[in-house]
Amino acid sequence: MQTAKTSKTIMTVIILYLLIIAFPFIWVTLTSFKPESEIWGQSALKLFADQPTMEHYEALFKTTILNSLKNSFIIASITTIYVTLIASFCSYAIARLKFKFKKVLVAVILATSMFPQMIVVGPIYRTFVKLGWTNSFYITLPYSMITLPVATFILITHFAKVPVEMEESAYIDGASKIRTFFRIILPLAMPGIFTSAIMTFIGVWNEFLLSLTLNSDEKFRTATVAISFLRGQFQIFWGQVTAATVILTIPTLIIVILFQKQIISGITSGAVKE
Amino acid sequence: MKNISKIVESKTAYILILPAVVFILLFSIIPIGESLRYAFFDFQLNDQAKSGLYINANYNIALYDETAFYIRSFLDMEEEVVTKDETKLQIDAIRNMLDEYDQYMLNNISSPDMASVVSVNNEKLAYVTKIRDNIMSSLEKLYSFDEPFVCEEDMFAVASELDTAIISSNFSGLNNFKSVLTDTRVHSTVGFTLIFTFISVFFELCFGMALALIMNKALKGRGIIRTVSLIPWAIPTAVAALIWSYLYNGSSGIISHLFAWLKIIPEPTELLLSSTGSLWAIILADVWKTTPYMALLLLAGLQTIPHSLYESSSLDGATKLQQFGSVTLPLLKPSIFVALLFRTLDAFRVFDLIYVLTGGGPGGTTESVSIYAYKVMFAQTRFGYGSAVVLVMALTVGLITFAYIKLLNVKLIND
Repeated sequence: MQTAKTSKTIMTVIILYLLIIAFPFIWVTLTSFKPESEIWGQSALKLFADQPTMEHYEALFKTTILNSLKNSFIIASITTIYVTLIASFCSYAIARLKFKFKKVLVAVILATSMFPQMIVVGPIYRTFVKLGWTNSFYITLPYSMITLPVATFILITHFAKVPVEMEESAYIDGASKIRTFFRIILPLAMPGIFTSAIMTFIGVWNEFLLSLTLNSDEKFRTATVAISFLRGQFQIFWGQVTAATVILTIPTLIIVILFQKQIISGITSGAVKE
Repeated sequence: MKNISKIVESKTAYILILPAVVFILLFSIIPIGESLRYAFFDFQLNDQAKSGLYINANYNIALYDETAFYIRSFLDMEEEVVTKDETKLQIDAIRNMLDEYDQYMLNNISSPDMASVVSVNNEKLAYVTKIRDNIMSSLEKLYSFDEPFVCEEDMFAVASELDTAIISSNFSGLNNFKSVLTDTRVHSTVGFTLIFTFISVFFELCFGMALALIMNKALKGRGIIRTVSLIPWAIPTAVAALIWSYLYNGSSGIISHLFAWLKIIPEPTELLLSSTGSLWAIILADVWKTTPYMALLLLAGLQTIPHSLYESSSLDGATKLQQFGSVTLPLLKPSIFVALLFRTLDAFRVFDLIYVLTGGGPGGTTESVSIYAYKVMFAQTRFGYGSAVVLVMALTVGLITFAYIKLLNVKLIND
């Protein structure tokens, strides 16, 4: 039985935790509405602006940040669609079919997810330069390298959960394996597919290194790289920086609120076996 | 009958895995192999003589042709102004020499597809080197005569191109790896990365475990805790780094002022301008961003422990602490292992957070191995050496994984 005292302590710890997690966002959001004069010096430490303003947002929208957001959205969507498709084929085969080299394939996928990304960046950059693919949406292709392993492992656990009987009865009715896959398995594994799609989307949306090296041109920059460029070498417009972080946090916030169940399942399905 | 269906099954499987295998091959396996290959060469993109991987020496025959053309036209110009027969004879001798070399190039070096740079073996390399030496020495002899020459300077400038045309092999064997081992900057970045990884993951595990236990107990507000916990994990690291860089900045950062007020740091500006300040600033930002993720992983593990185990152990008279040691920890071991492994590997390759928060500064003291490798490859364009640095990092990652598997005695792939 929990005593009233321990439950009170637990509540205090939880509230403290929530405050610590949320504080940076709250502070940055409040700052983004302060005029330039209140961002520097002692008045920067005040919670609310004396004269709230939208000037930083207006200035920000004159830069290419919206275009970068659009790039991020396009690149993340394309990657999500094709990676989820090929990962679901591959995971179904691993979860359900017998074939040689299955263990080797699983080990290779696991190993590629553990390798430092930096190792592939050099050769991919050189190949992209040779092919003239830098600063284009071809960047979605190497994104498979960071998203495919995660998507595959999420989907393997979900395909393994689909009851074998369903599949067998369809198979006895004369449907081929491929047909069974599309008609029976895929609809039943839909929650898993959705989870892996969300995880892939977040993974690409947040990616930084490949985007920084392959798409350095302003026209093709993704949002994460664009925002890092706001922090210039000599002068930092904190007003715009804070406004930009607020704008970039909004899509994440929407995704988290809408799909938190899927995200939790995505984070933990690789970690908790059985 | 059974055999046939087995064959059909494995055929179907191969068709289904094919697209994934192609992508893994193209964007993981082949680039990793390429990186390995780069590491054996003195491969530098901005140096023309080293901008490829040359096992053999190469000769820029197009450059030779161009140089020979200019030497001839300068010789024509000199011929018009010189007076002595001796000099004219020398000019003719050089012309004959060039004719002979042209013939040699045509017969022995030119490739059928008229490539401008061709691979040469040792014998040919010795010959083109001799050509260069002979032309240079006879030109020097020519200009040693007392004559009213008009283009001596241009002549030597052009002739020096003969040297540039010889592209020697940039295969360097294990030299890159040897330099990595003695590079003090590699030592300091590996040291920094290990310290960062160890401290961050340690705090994340402790706080994450405490949080998971509390969340497991909490009856009210689980939904909001989960939502809020997911946000730091879900926002891009670059955005988180920018947010923290504002909170840390010396003039208007609330955290730097708070720490100065608490006397943790002497001045608000110290946080990002001193090396220890920056180290802890980076660790704090990382702990903030990933502790919730760690807690969620551990919470998922906690929820798989059957409640009956706690009940029976408390009937046996075990205290809460004993329960934690004898029930929770052993059953949570697989989850702890996965969480620790994921986080350690992630922390060890840290890039975005440091790149945006400190850029490796002040004075390179917060450079992680990834940041250093990135700078070597993309700022200095030394791809060969950069690849060697990355490979050493990959090797360290492999060792860490191996150590975890041995230490915690867990099977990585369940059958």
